[in-house]
Amino acid sequence: MRPYWSPYLAGVALGLTLLATYLLMGFGLGASGAFAQVAARLEGAVAPGRAHANPYLVGYLDAGRLWAQWIVVEMVGVIVGAVLGAWTAGRFAWRLEKGPRIGAGRRLLFAFIGGATVGFASRVAQGCTSGVALSGGAVLAPGAWAFLATFMAGGFVTAWIVRRAWR
Amino acid sequence: MSWPLDLEGAGGLAIGLLAGVAFGFILERGGLGDPKKLTGLFYLEDFTMLKVMFAAIAVAAAGIGALSLLGVLDLSRIAVQPTYLWPQAVGGLILGVGFALGGY
Repeated sequence: MRPYWSPYLAGVALGLTLLATYLLMGFGLGASGAFAQVAARLEGAVAPGRAHANPYLVGYLDAGRLWAQWIVVEMVGVIVGAVLGAWTAGRFAWRLEKGPRIGAGRRLLFAFIGGATVGFASRVAQGCTSGVALSGGAVLAPGAWAFLATFMAGGFVTAWIVRRAWR
Repeated sequence: MSWPLDLEGAGGLAIGLLAGVAFGFILERGGLGDPKKLTGLFYLEDFTMLKVMFAAIAVAAAGIGALSLLGVLDLSRIAVQPTYLWPQAVGGLILGVGFALGGY
């Protein structure tokens, strides 16, 4: 198994990727937007009346085909790239990453609750750690820095409460 | 040529796929696919996430600034996330809670 890159090297590589995206597209990288695109269409398929009556979801439904959405294609790329990275480093394996003091069931329950919480929060903040903090940070958007500060605060307090999950 | 190129259609989507592959590959190789490393920040034990993120922000911000000063990049055509202070502060807080719970 190859060791991880130096975090500074990874950071410079990520910064150059982000810079290239801004140069070519005029906007940065994102992640949670792709989930919102998919979720809106799922609701559109299951409950079309309800979805089309919701002004927030209509924005996504009127955006056109799912596979023509830049962030959806980008997110597919992220999955491909991450699998490639893990596989070529000899790290690709089925396993549950968790601390030694938590059972698999509880870890998965925490993951589910955490995932739903992150999804909800990303809609409140109009983005996640990728779209708001990383891409917004690079163009010095004030909201990105407010987001980063409170993100750390929420993480520190919660991590202490659930410390048995990770340490 | 004026930057940003604002690529549209298939060309833009191809760049999206490539940018995504690079994004995912770099995050994995940098160790950010590992929730124990990610949450390590909140126990002051592993600062990988902070180092990767701030190095990336510094490089991209410096690059955007330099290319704009050189007249290569038109800053007015770069999308800057609109600031909604309270939603973003509250959203960040909730996202931090979910991140520490789920590990990503």
